[in-house]
Amino acid sequence: MSTLQNREAKVGPLFRFKNARVSLNELILLDYEPDRLHHDLAEHAGRLPSLFRQMPILINLEQLPDDVALPSLEQLLGICRENALNPVGIRGNSRYDSALIAELGLADFGSGGREKTAAPAESEPVEAVAPAEPESEPAQAEPESAEVPHATGGQTRLITAPVRSGQQIYAAGGDLIVLSSVGAGAEVMADGNIHIYGPLRGRAMAGVKGNSEARIFCQSLEAELVSIAGYFKTSEDLMSDHWKQPVQAWLSGTKLDTAPL
Amino acid sequence: MAEIIVVTSGKGGVGKTTSSAAIGTGLALRGHKTVLVDFDVGLRNLDLIMGCERRVVFDLVNVINEEATLNQALIRDKRTEGLYILPASQTRDKDALTQDGVERVLKELSETFDYIVCDSPAGIERGAHLALYFADTAIVVTNPEVSSVRDSDRILGVLQSKSRKAEDGGQVREHLLLTRYNPSRVQAGEMLSVEDVREILAIPLLGVIPESEAVLKASNQGQPVVLDDASDAGQAYLDAIGRFLGEEREHRFLEVQRKGLFSRVFGRKG
Repeated sequence: MSTLQNREAKVGPLFRFKNARVSLNELILLDYEPDRLHHDLAEHAGRLPSLFRQMPILINLEQLPDDVALPSLEQLLGICRENALNPVGIRGNSRYDSALIAELGLADFGSGGREKTAAPAESEPVEAVAPAEPESEPAQAEPESAEVPHATGGQTRLITAPVRSGQQIYAAGGDLIVLSSVGAGAEVMADGNIHIYGPLRGRAMAGVKGNSEARIFCQSLEAELVSIAGYFKTSEDLMSDHWKQPVQAWLSGTKLDTAPL
Repeated sequence: MAEIIVVTSGKGGVGKTTSSAAIGTGLALRGHKTVLVDFDVGLRNLDLIMGCERRVVFDLVNVINEEATLNQALIRDKRTEGLYILPASQTRDKDALTQDGVERVLKELSETFDYIVCDSPAGIERGAHLALYFADTAIVVTNPEVSSVRDSDRILGVLQSKSRKAEDGGQVREHLLLTRYNPSRVQAGEMLSVEDVREILAIPLLGVIPESEAVLKASNQGQPVVLDDASDAGQAYLDAIGRFLGEEREHRFLEVQRKGLFSRVFGRKG
């Protein structure tokens, strides 16, 4: 008790405010069909798993036509979160109740201003909203992304020629088998497992849609990066053990493990 | 129908133009009517290596723009029978090349020549892309060095996806030409070995050209190094051309040359 008081006396204020400019991406809704939105977002997330890792976004409704039925905000947030997006605020809102927005932990960034629909009632200035104030709990959100339907009855993709530097191969919905090498600077991705019957010198990303059961197998581990369901290790970490040996990689919890085959 | 060969690498400065000149000259020496086409518009070098820079009047861009006929632009090599050079333009850039124009020129050339050797510019952009687009065969020039190997890997990917052969579902024949090879530096671990490079690129090896003083001399004299058949590099290119034409030839110059008594006494360099 006394120590706490002492510290307070010495250190002074516990915080201060500072104007921070953070660049955020907006998810601009042009129309609203929940199923399609879910599917399309999942596809994007699959292609760019590293970008989608709990990326904070603003939901922008400015371009959503007035005649489109107002999406259920809970549903919309659910879709975003299931696809590894972290909505932190809403913009261009003129129809949701501001109490609801606050209740859901979102920041209201007003109606944007550029739009003619900018309702005069919405005079709330776009100001100092602490950017990551609402839920930043990636640990909790992670398992959600694993719920995305994964690798169910997808096709296995077979590559027989070397994957060259600069090439990108993605096996959507299934496993990827490469019968040759994966060059430095090449990227191989699959929703399921990745098997490489040659040296892996580039990047391999398995379970890109969140399948944490996915594994990566290769004849010789010389990879720049190995990733499963978004958890990754770079060559720096990989070099210590099993380098240039036949290896499999899998996810135990949140840790990427490798073992010789 | 002529066979269109592109000499490419991705990376610059690895010896594309030297190799184009050597291979073109070598094919002509073996009795095949050959034309060397410089695709490096804006950075014209092939004419220098071939020693015909003073005879350039019209160039590839002129022919593409129909400002000159092919016969006006083609330069006949004075040393080697059956060898012609189509120079690049020095005053223009790669945007002056059009796919239709290049196709027309190559088609016209293939009516009279056996081999069309296209000297590609570095990079993977327009100039390099057009140089390789129509190719039947690619000779990928690589130095035994990691960045060159990676760029070659990249260009092999481009050949497999963006060439006309690939678009039609076929495949461009690929050959690896390893240049600037120095066995003693390989032994010292400073340079990738032939095996290292072959393992990474996984394409057939056409030849290994040793690092040689003869190459610089040849470039500066405007004389393709194959004409200096006493030189190690010249012989290595001639071997490579033999292999290209389907002959079995053992790879030479891969091991460190032990200096004999004669060269030790007189201090002659290999």
